[in-house]
Amino acid sequence: MSRILIVAEHLDGALNTATARSVSCAKAIGGDIHVLVLAAEASAVAAEAAAIDGVGKVLTVTRPENAHALAAVLAPQIAAVAGSGYTHLLLPSTTFGKDVAPRVAALLGVAQVSDIMSVEGAQTFKRPIYAGNAIVTVEAPAGALIVGTVRTASYPAAAGGGSAPVEALSPDVALPSHTRFVGLAQGKTDRPDLQGAARVVSGGRALGSAEQFQLIYGLADKIGAAVGASRAAVDAGYAPNDLQVGQTGKIIAPELYIAIGISGAIQHLTGIKDAGTIVAINKDADAPIFEIADYGLVGDLFKLIPEFEQALG
Amino acid sequence: MLLGKQAIDDDANQTGQMLAALWDRPQATFASKVEVDGGVARVTREVDAGLETIEVDLPAVITSDLRLNEPRFIKLPDIMKAKAKPIETIELASLGVEPGDHLKTTHYAAPAKRSKGVMVKDVAELVAALKSKGLIR
Ligand SMILES: Cc1cc2nc3c(=O)[nH]c(=O)nc-3n(C[C@H](O)[C@H](O)[C@H](O)COP(=O)(O)OP(=O)(O)OC[C@H]3O[C@@H](n4cnc5c(N)ncnc54)[C@H](O)[C@@H]3O)c2cc1C
Repeated sequence: MSRILIVAEHLDGALNTATARSVSCAKAIGGDIHVLVLAAEASAVAAEAAAIDGVGKVLTVTRPENAHALAAVLAPQIAAVAGSGYTHLLLPSTTFGKDVAPRVAALLGVAQVSDIMSVEGAQTFKRPIYAGNAIVTVEAPAGALIVGTVRTASYPAAAGGGSAPVEALSPDVALPSHTRFVGLAQGKTDRPDLQGAARVVSGGRALGSAEQFQLIYGLADKIGAAVGASRAAVDAGYAPNDLQVGQTGKIIAPELYIAIGISGAIQHLTGIKDAGTIVAINKDADAPIFEIADYGLVGDLFKLIPEFEQALG
Repeated sequence: MLLGKQAIDDDANQTGQMLAALWDRPQATFASKVEVDGGVARVTREVDAGLETIEVDLPAVITSDLRLNEPRFIKLPDIMKAKAKPIETIELASLGVEPGDHLKTTHYAAPAKRSKGVMVKDVAELVAALKSKGLIR
């Protein structure tokens, strides 16, 4: 039977939903599922992880060096725990998991399966390539420890309600001091988090300026949505980098995605393919975004957004 | 060592991180700003929560994100000059590395297609459709 270790992603003492999504992937593999929390103060995060349905045990490693998620510091600790008899090590395919997982895989001397979107067997997985334009099935040799990142848009968050035991570990590994945290500039908002939001309103290059991009925020607030952006809008400075949706940004799966003034380049579409319903507003009736939109509306966004807000009352 | 963060074909996003681990050196992935001061690099990283800044002792592995810089336009004379630059080929065997066949690709398939939807004529029709599906109130 598989023994699966998931590394918890957390920030400011709260667990990221990407962890519960990784648990769903682990359930598809089947077996014992443990969650590893590395932190300076692990108890709150461990309690959240222990409540995820399907989790058999939560392991904590509490060290002051773990205050910030530095891959070089976390990787040797994760490798030590994962190497103690686990068959699978999973991290979410977020910037956290993408940064840390390959470093652990290299320490363990195995290849990594990135962006697992489907589990075909304990050693066999499907993953997207070419910005999602092709799906490959990859197979790891029998008996090889699997290090994988989970494409979070492919898995719902596992439910709560569990009560797994929490066990403190202290792996005996020397930690490097060559990598130091300086700071994190967060776009603090009261809006829903882009990666977990049920509704997302995204703006593209057509918004034309950071001031006019506020129209997107206005509509998003009206329907309780998170805000996203195309790469062009981020590159132009209309929106911060953490709002970028797509191949090299965030891959998301909201119930409703509204793309406004976004043409629909493949690199953008790969980030929204798993959305429930896609709405596109674009003045060009031939824009590629309409090829995948469930509802398309042709027109000038500067006229249509105010109309939209008004129609919502 | 400078690398891109991910290849645009297999999108694996692993090489820089693995190199840093095997080399036992720091890594600063997804860099959008790099300042080198003596033996230290201060790197701003594009992370899901925003912009993170870390300091790494050199040598280190840095992988670039999209907004690190604007690649310069290559002028014809430079393209000509590039032809004269020496290119050294290193045999894998000379590095004492054992190449392993770790992952086997067994199938290629087209992704599931989203079906084409409908065009609505105005905002009222759009809002009515979204309300009837319970997507907005
Ligand atoms: C390696 C690589 C990675 C990439 N990664 C990403 C990624 O992760 N995410 C991403 O988004 N892109 C990514 N891109 C960029 C992508 O190829 C496109 O360039 C980008 O998505 C275009 O953004 P856009 O749709 O906002 O702009 P444009 O393509 O310029 O489209 C603007 C749209 O707005 C419409 N419009 C203009 N004015 C109005 C108006 N008044 N009212 C209504 N509509 C209007 C136009 O008809 C047009 O369709 C990547 C590219 C590369 C090469």
